Amino acid sequence: MKKIYKSAAVATMMGLLTFAVAGCGDDKATPVSNEKLKFGVTNFADSLEPTDNFFGWVVMRYGLGECLSRFDDKMNVVPWLAESWQISDDKLTWTFKINDKAVFSNGDKLTAEIAKESIERAFKNNTRAQSFFTYAEITADGQNLMIRTDKPVPTLPGMLADPLFIIIDTKVTDRDYAKEGPICTGPYMVKSYSKSKAEMVANPNYWDGTVPFKAVDIPTIDDPNTRAMALQSGEIDFAINIAAGDLDLFKNDKYKISEIASLRTVLAQMNMNEGRPLADPKVRAALISCLDRETYNKVLLKDTFIPGKAPVPPSLDYGFDQLNDPNSYNVERAKNLLAEAGWQDTNGDGYVDKNGKNMELDFVYYSGRAELPLYAEATQADAKKIGIKVNMKNVDYNVLDPMRRNGEFDLIISNILTANSGDPEVYLNWYWKTNVNGSQPQNSTGYSNPEFDALSDQLAVEFDPAKRRDLMIKMQQILLNDGVALFFGYPKTNMVSKASVQDADIKPADYYWLTKDIKPAQ
Amino acid sequence: MDKILYGLKNNRSFAIASFFVALLILIAAAATLIAPYDPYEAIMANAYLPPSSEHLFGTDKLGRDNFSRVLFGAAYSLSSVLLLVVLIFIVGTSLGVIAGYFGGKTDIVIMRVADMMISFPGMILAIAIAGILGGSLINAMIALIIVTWTKYARLARSMVLKVKERDFVTAAIVNGGKPLHILWQHILPNILPLMVITAAADIGAMMMELAGLSFLGFGSQPPAPEWGLMLNEGRQQLQTAPWLMVFPGLAIFLTVVVFNLWGDALRDVLDPRQEDN
Repeated sequence: MKKIYKSAAVATMMGLLTFAVAGCGDDKATPVSNEKLKFGVTNFADSLEPTDNFFGWVVMRYGLGECLSRFDDKMNVVPWLAESWQISDDKLTWTFKINDKAVFSNGDKLTAEIAKESIERAFKNNTRAQSFFTYAEITADGQNLMIRTDKPVPTLPGMLADPLFIIIDTKVTDRDYAKEGPICTGPYMVKSYSKSKAEMVANPNYWDGTVPFKAVDIPTIDDPNTRAMALQSGEIDFAINIAAGDLDLFKNDKYKISEIASLRTVLAQMNMNEGRPLADPKVRAALISCLDRETYNKVLLKDTFIPGKAPVPPSLDYGFDQLNDPNSYNVERAKNLLAEAGWQDTNGDGYVDKNGKNMELDFVYYSGRAELPLYAEATQADAKKIGIKVNMKNVDYNVLDPMRRNGEFDLIISNILTANSGDPEVYLNWYWKTNVNGSQPQNSTGYSNPEFDALSDQLAVEFDPAKRRDLMIKMQQILLNDGVALFFGYPKTNMVSKASVQDADIKPADYYWLTKDIKPAQ
Repeated sequence: MDKILYGLKNNRSFAIASFFVALLILIAAAATLIAPYDPYEAIMANAYLPPSSEHLFGTDKLGRDNFSRVLFGAAYSLSSVLLLVVLIFIVGTSLGVIAGYFGGKTDIVIMRVADMMISFPGMILAIAIAGILGGSLINAMIALIIVTWTKYARLARSMVLKVKERDFVTAAIVNGGKPLHILWQHILPNILPLMVITAAADIGAMMMELAGLSFLGFGSQPPAPEWGLMLNEGRQQLQTAPWLMVFPGLAIFLTVVVFNLWGDALRDVLDPRQEDN
């Protein structure tokens, strides 16, 4: 028996060495032709049903589905399947004109009637649709789609760009959406799909130009390290999100790196409910002040993240530079604040205490994204320097969500998209608007500020973009003054491609990956 | 004990292996004295420094000294593994001895439970248990005890069944010996050598399994300097900061090899096959 273990030990070591040596091998760069493209991705969806869970994201990422509108590189809402839209004088009815050229991959013409059924289907199948807006009535007339709402919804065109509202051919009913995907209007169609690998082929009836590749294979490679190696070995032609540590390997003329600041924020919510140490604003301020976020992002994450400060990332123009963070990095101030709040290390064990109890904070995080454990551990190390003990709780993502809703945490981490509807309104409400009997399930921290809520109510019916921006800047400043969360940083996302792939550019919105623009280099 | 002393003098491979085991334990015990830095002290500006004279094994993702962490890892991993093996040994052996000596229903219950545990693949079951209990070193140890005790129980039971038939046991029973006395005085000493050899040979395997669970996130939690956990933390930097995986990996490798060689040599020294001579 022990012989086996011994050989196992040797085999492990040999494996490790082979691995290391393989990494040093020559990078093979077979040029890409228009026959086949191979795209390494991460994938969470075991089905292509666009209204199920967040699976619509994958339908869009793989070049299958399209929406009425989309976001451009500056996050402006621009036409896609709808060529234009306008709002009625009473601000309650939006009219979308569906592009006359738009056809599905089976040749069916896209009419307003199909778009209507498609949107209604999303509302019927997924409750998340209602967190965007609720409609009174949708009507279709030829190529005109009318959506009437009870209250004004200023950002409705942006909301319809969410992959939940992908337009599918509702006339087709005999398909298994989970495995074959719906009939959509995108440049590629599904040949086969499983969570581990998708095979896409060109859509022969594509309405918006030519499709550059005859086939695209999309293997799922969830481990970032393996993904980088697959790209080095030529197993894939381009990859999404190469990890911070590996990006240097591709900084040469065999590869192209497309990197941008994403619309995401990594933050940890703080539980301010009665009886929790973080209920005291001074303790919260102390904790925020003791974190050297500059170093986390510049050194630990090798500049692949932008140091955090405000709720909304600087990639969106909502006053990042003018916002003032009262709790910027200052260890001395943090120590003083703790002392003012009555926390002192009286028993000399290195941790501050009050009424004979040490301050201990439970930090709940998951490791599905490489940066989250790093932020959590860095917080633990920095908090220790001012005498706060942080206990790490690494849980599965499926466990984390109920823990958030039930408030079973002191600190809980998130990496969230801040511009679901083109601007951060939905995001700010989700996390910080007063939670009245479960109206904002994401806000279980007990945070409630009437001033913030009043601004949020104003925002809900404000159409003027300049005023909306002002309101959201004010809302953010309130959150910063109240010290509501640890805003760690804003990820840059990247796409790394072989030099022989052209225009493999990462877009700010997280769901445009494989597009018609990606083609073989000339 | 005499046999071990005799072995140290006359069995060269046992002597050498014992020397290395002693050296490992010494390093683990003296980690606080040898380590140049505090293994928990994060100086983040120094993250990912390659090995140098200042940081022999480089620094990790939070700028902690990797050499100090590997040293403290020796104390941490070794003590937890030794404790684990002792616990498994006690639990498994006592259940096996009880089953073998008393027989009947007790035997059936204990051994059927053992059979059930064996019908699952060990590591997978351990992952499931540790996963349900939540990740921590204690929970990982509990999971491994649940999975591994059966091996000791079966072995102990079969030995007891053999020893029980011996004349000196019958004589003790005839003389009115109480079961506890008989077990302790007459049976246990006879099965102990083989059990100890099994346990010694298991140290290496247990070390790998405990490190494996930590690697998967079911064992030690950050910032503990545990070798398996360090391997996992270094995995993301395999190509850019290989020292973060190489040194903890090497530490596990060497420790497992040393303990396996020692276990082998110990068997030669205590060889139970010669007890009938």
